[in-house]
Amino acid sequence: MSRMLTVMRREYLERVRSRAFLVSTILGPVLVIGLSIGPTLLMARQRGKPLRVSIVDVSGTLSAPVERALAGGRVADARRFLVVPVGAADPEAAKRVARADVVDGRLDGFLYLGADALSTLQVEYYGKNVSNMMDIRMLEKAVDDALLERRLSQEGLEGSRAQRLMRKLDLRPIRLTATGEREDRGASFLLALLLLTLLYSTVLLWGAAIMNGVIEEKANRVVEVIVSSMPTSSLFAGKLVGVGAAGLTQFLVWSLTMAGFGLYGAAAARSGGVPLPELSPLLLVSFVVYFLLGYFLYGALYAAVGSAVNTQQEAQSLAFPVMMPLVVGFVFFPAVLSSPDSPLAVVLSLIPFFTPMLMFLRITALTPPAWQIALSLVLTLGAVVLVTWAASRVYRVGILMYGKRPTFPEIVRWARMS
Amino acid sequence: MPASEDVREPAIRLSGVSKSYSGHVAVQDLSLSVPRGGAFGLLGPNGAGKTTTLRMIMNVLAPDTGTIEILGRPASQPGRDRIGYMPEERGLYPRMVVEEQLLFFAELKGVPRKEAARRLPPWLERLGLDAWRHRRLNELSKGMQQKAQFIATVLHDPDVLILDEPLSGLDPIGVNVMRDVFVDLRRRGKTVVLSSHQMETVERLCDSIALIHRGRKVLEGAVSEIRSRHGKNTIVLSYEGDGAFLSGLPGVQKVSDFGRYVEIRMTDGADPQSILREAAARIRVTRFEVVEPSLHDIFVEQVTAAGEAAA
Repeated sequence: MSRMLTVMRREYLERVRSRAFLVSTILGPVLVIGLSIGPTLLMARQRGKPLRVSIVDVSGTLSAPVERALAGGRVADARRFLVVPVGAADPEAAKRVARADVVDGRLDGFLYLGADALSTLQVEYYGKNVSNMMDIRMLEKAVDDALLERRLSQEGLEGSRAQRLMRKLDLRPIRLTATGEREDRGASFLLALLLLTLLYSTVLLWGAAIMNGVIEEKANRVVEVIVSSMPTSSLFAGKLVGVGAAGLTQFLVWSLTMAGFGLYGAAAARSGGVPLPELSPLLLVSFVVYFLLGYFLYGALYAAVGSAVNTQQEAQSLAFPVMMPLVVGFVFFPAVLSSPDSPLAVVLSLIPFFTPMLMFLRITALTPPAWQIALSLVLTLGAVVLVTWAASRVYRVGILMYGKRPTFPEIVRWARMS
Repeated sequence: MPASEDVREPAIRLSGVSKSYSGHVAVQDLSLSVPRGGAFGLLGPNGAGKTTTLRMIMNVLAPDTGTIEILGRPASQPGRDRIGYMPEERGLYPRMVVEEQLLFFAELKGVPRKEAARRLPPWLERLGLDAWRHRRLNELSKGMQQKAQFIATVLHDPDVLILDEPLSGLDPIGVNVMRDVFVDLRRRGKTVVLSSHQMETVERLCDSIALIHRGRKVLEGAVSEIRSRHGKNTIVLSYEGDGAFLSGLPGVQKVSDFGRYVEIRMTDGADPQSILREAAARIRVTRFEVVEPSLHDIFVEQVTAAGEAAA
């Protein structure tokens, strides 16, 4: 037992002291927080630099209402559009001039309203940058408003009456949970995707870390010295737990940082600031728990693969079937997220090799019934016990086996050997 | 001391041990007895089965047949803290700091960390690793790494040391340091088992040897006893002039030219004096000595004989 602790201690300290650990542990929360508040910050940054836009109006009647509507387009309390008059009366000449101005950078873009724009509802926008969806959407809304106002006035509705009737709906999606409610415009989705990616990549990374550690020990014959001092099962357990403890440390750092961020977010939401996604205790706890389950499930398999091969190159082909279920679980993420309580999602999330990904995903989207969470924990724990047992048997044979890389059936035979 | 050793049972005993890998026989029906105290050399050419034998003694490999005992216990039983093992290839973590890793291995052998930390500095100093203790292993030269590995093997103060090719990669000064350490260990009653194909070094270091070839034992016993058993049938001769005729003299079985001198192997019952007379008549002899054969010669002779017998 004390020797297992010695192995654990070494594994833990060697991992935690590495630069890669430090970087990824710090980078995790930076990513989560950055992606949560980044878009808001980006929007704020666009303030103070309005787009210079011209209007080329063939019909001759639309430019005034469009210009008025554009003046209403605002970002962070600043006008988004600056309407620049075109210095030519003839529409075709105006178009040519505007085109040249855009190319030369004197203008950001221009709207081209054809003679029958009002009836066909076809309007063109020429610009150097047409990929800023927020700007395009705002332009579209402004022109749409202007044309609608125009059509209404043709039907006899004038000015302020028309505008009153045209008022738009503002649908606020509000996420309702047992603890309260919070406005959510897609940040939850982003957060779910982010946490899932984090979970997926860390299980893969720590699995690969333990595999490479095993290969290194084998290649340097360190394992011969260790095995002559202690039972292989203790060595295997010590490595698995030691590396797992390093992973757990990382996840605790992440969870605590996110919890702090969540508290700040809740305070900000109450005071009417930027709405941030909710980071509930259940979410954070299951983030850690499903990481641990995933790590032990896949880490044990990775260790077995590492013991069976001689070099990292050889490991590639054997490691592929091991990571396959992890990848498949990740691929199912849109299906599960779109209907987290569908039979498909429930069944998939209860299959142990998918549970760490998909049950966690369901928890981020729509809290599943407690019995399903409990069942997923029991099933995955059972799978962990079975897989670790088989893996430790493969490991015991594999680490002292040199020469040709074994085939998959041979490895299965090792696990069966007494 | 040697008298009392005989009464006690051997440090290591192998009886009828065989091991083969997928058709290839590595060790065949090997029986050995390593006496307690002193240095024991396991000799043999490359591929003779030395490493396989040591791995079986360390329970890293299980023999197909036969039994192995260390200090009176079966090799397969745990409780091996009294044994230190140094494999042929490194056996240390390349990216781990030297001091950390030596403490780690001592702890694995049941030495409390504090105690190990107390024992470490004298060893580091003795083997000249003091300045390197806070470096990663892969920053050290090969010889330095080997010394670090040796400390990892002895830090828990084992009674039996199993060293696979401990001297390869060491410079002459390193070999001398190791020799002093061996002498010291022997004085303290430790048993050192080392494998090597460098006969001269083994001859100087070891009290007894076993010679194996193609997995079989060819020779076993105390070095002095083996050498005298082969009789004083060798002449060391230094001379000026052309010595080409020497191999044709009556009573000369074989001449090995070492540049500065030749070793003449005599046939049984040949008279060294007549060879001296013949030589003195034709060349200027500067040194003439009748000696016991070196282990090297015995080794070559035995291996050649075994090879012929097998063929």
